[in-house]
Amino acid sequence: MQQYILRRTLLNFVVLFLVATMVFLALRVDPSNIIRERAQGCTTAETYDACREIAKAELGLDKPLWRQYGTYMADLAQLDLGKSFFTKNAVLQDIKDRAGPSIELGLLQIMVALVVALPIGIISAIRQDTWLDYLLRFVSIALLGIPVFVLAIFVMLGTTKYAGGTFLPEWLSVHGTWVNLFPGQTPGNDHNVIENLKRVTGPALVGGLGTGAIIMRFLRSQMLEVLRQDYVRTAWAKGLRERVVVVRHALKNALIPVLTVIGLLLGSIVSGNVVLEYLYTIPGIGFFIISSILQFDYPVVQGTVLVVAVTLVFVNLLVDIAYGWLDPRIRYS
Amino acid sequence: MALPHRPTALQNVLKFIRRKPLGAIGFLIIGFMVLMTVGTPQLKFGIPSLPDRPLGVELGKPWIARYDAEAKFFTAENRLSQYEGPSASHWLGTEKAGRDIWARLVYGARRSLFIGIWALAVATFVGTAIGVVSGYFRGWVDTAVQRVMDALQSFPPLVALILIITINPLTSSPNLTVAAFALGLVGIPSVQRITRGVVLATREQQYVEAARVIGATDLRTMVYYILPNITASIIVVFSTGLGVVILAEAALAFVIPQNVPQGPSWGLMLNEGRGAMFDHSGPTVWSATFIALAVLGFNLAGDALRDVLDPRLRL
Repeated sequence: MQQYILRRTLLNFVVLFLVATMVFLALRVDPSNIIRERAQGCTTAETYDACREIAKAELGLDKPLWRQYGTYMADLAQLDLGKSFFTKNAVLQDIKDRAGPSIELGLLQIMVALVVALPIGIISAIRQDTWLDYLLRFVSIALLGIPVFVLAIFVMLGTTKYAGGTFLPEWLSVHGTWVNLFPGQTPGNDHNVIENLKRVTGPALVGGLGTGAIIMRFLRSQMLEVLRQDYVRTAWAKGLRERVVVVRHALKNALIPVLTVIGLLLGSIVSGNVVLEYLYTIPGIGFFIISSILQFDYPVVQGTVLVVAVTLVFVNLLVDIAYGWLDPRIRYS
Repeated sequence: MALPHRPTALQNVLKFIRRKPLGAIGFLIIGFMVLMTVGTPQLKFGIPSLPDRPLGVELGKPWIARYDAEAKFFTAENRLSQYEGPSASHWLGTEKAGRDIWARLVYGARRSLFIGIWALAVATFVGTAIGVVSGYFRGWVDTAVQRVMDALQSFPPLVALILIITINPLTSSPNLTVAAFALGLVGIPSVQRITRGVVLATREQQYVEAARVIGATDLRTMVYYILPNITASIIVVFSTGLGVVILAEAALAFVIPQNVPQGPSWGLMLNEGRGAMFDHSGPTVWSATFIALAVLGFNLAGDALRDVLDPRLRL
C-alpha cells in the first residue's frame, strides 16, 4: 500500500510537470495580443515599436523561450506562482481569496445532489421496472440532458415571472450587490460564510440537480448489483425488515463505489464550475481562470490551471486510497 | 425444410421502438434536427469549411426555414419589428434585431450539428488510434500515454476550450473550423480512455492470440483483428459524445460570446436574449429549449444504442 501511494504520488508529479509545460507553451504560441494591449497605453517612447519593446521587457517576454521556461520552473519549485500582469497581486493569494466561494458552492451543490440522488436511486433500484422506476429514470436522464445554464435561466425566469414578490426570486436569482460580499472583491470585507451560503443557493440547487442525476444513475446500478448478492438473500431469509435489508445490508455496500464518484465530482466541481460561476457572477476559481484567459494574464492562467490540476490529481489519489480503505477486498499493487 | 423467419428491417425497427421507447424518442429528436439542417443541395466541392459547406458540399437554404437567418423585418411604420410575438409569418416571433427566431434556430441547428460531427470525428479518430496503440502494447508506451492523457484531463474541459480558442494563432478572427477542432482536441482523452479499456479486454481474446500465432504483425493485428471488434463501442462513444459536444459548443458561445464565430447559433442566441429576458423571453426560451432538446435526444439515443450494441461498456 505504501509503495502504491508513493508510486502514484511520483506519477502525479510527472502529470503536474506536463500540465505546467503544456500551459506554458500554449500561452507562448502567440504572445502578440498581450504585448499589443500593453503597448497601447504607453507614453514614454516615441514609436509604437519602441513601446512594444518596453512592454515585452516589462512582461519578461523578450527573453528566449528556454530562459522564460527556466525561470518559470525555478519559481514553481519554490512554490512561487508569480504576480498578475494587471493587478500585480501574488497569484497564490488571489487564488486563495477565490477558493472560498468555489468551495462553498461546490459543497452545497454536492449536498443538494445527494439529497436528490440518494432516495431516488434507492427507490428506483428496489422498485426496478415498475412505472415509478421508469418515471424516476426519465427524470434523471432529462436532468442529465438539460444543460446547467439552460436550467438556471428557466429557474430565474420562472421564479421572477410567476413567483415575484415571494422569497424565491431573491434566493434563486443573481443578486445585484452580492459580489461585494466575497473577499478579494472589495478589500476589507469579512468573509461571511453564512451570508455567502445564502448567495450560492440558486446555483447550488440548479447545479445539484444535474450532479444528482449522475450520482443517482450510478447508485441505481450499484444497488441493483448488490441486491442480487447472496448476503442480501441471506438477510431476507433471516426475516429482516425491508428497511434493514435495504439500508444496512445493501446500501452500505452499494455506497462505496458511489463515494468515490462523489469525491471525483467534488474535485471537478470546485475547480471547474465555470458556467455557474459566470452566470451567477460568483468570484470563484472557474470565473477567475476564464477572465484571466480573456485578459491574457499569463501568470494567473498558469498558476490557476496548475492549482486546479494539483487539486484534481491529488483528489483522485485520495479517492483511490479511500476506496481501498472502505473496501478491504480491493488490493493495490 | 423451412428456414427460420428472418426479421425484416422494418420489424427490427419496430422491435427497437418497443424495447427502447426512450431511445426511439431520442432518434426522433435527432431525426427532426437533421431535417432542420437539410437544405436544397448545391454540389460544389472545395475546401472543407463550416457550417454551410461541410466537406465542401454547399448546403443551400434549409427548406424548412422561410427566411434567411440575417434578414431583418420591419413594421408597417417602417420600424424594426423587435420582439414580435408568434404570428403566421414569424412562427416563433422575432428577436431584438428584428430577425425571425425560427430561421435563426434552423441555421443554428446546422451549426451545432456540423460542429458536433466534425469535433467528434477528430476526437474519435485520434482518440481511437491512441487508445488502440496504448491498450495493445501496454507496458511503458501505455504508461507514458496515460500520463499525457491525465495531464490533458486535469484541465477543466471548458477552460481548455476557452484557452485553445483564445490563443488560436491560426486565424485572425474566430473561425468555426478552429472551434470544431478545439472541441475535438478536448474530447480526445475521454475517447482514448474508453477505447483503451475495451482494447485491454479484447486483446486477451483467442482470435487475437490466433492472429499472433499465424504471424500477423502488430499493425495487422490491431487493424484487422482488434479494430473491427471494437466498432460497436466506438459507435456508442460517437453518438453519446455528439450530445456532449453540442452542449459544449453552446456553453462556449454562452460564456465567451465575443470570442466565438458570430452568426446564428443557439448558444449566442441564449446569451443575446439574456439581457432582456424578463421582458421578452421569446429568444431565450426557444434557444434554451432547442439546446436542451438536442442534448436530451443524443443522450437518449446514445443510451439505447449502448444497451443494444455494447451493454457492458461503462461510459
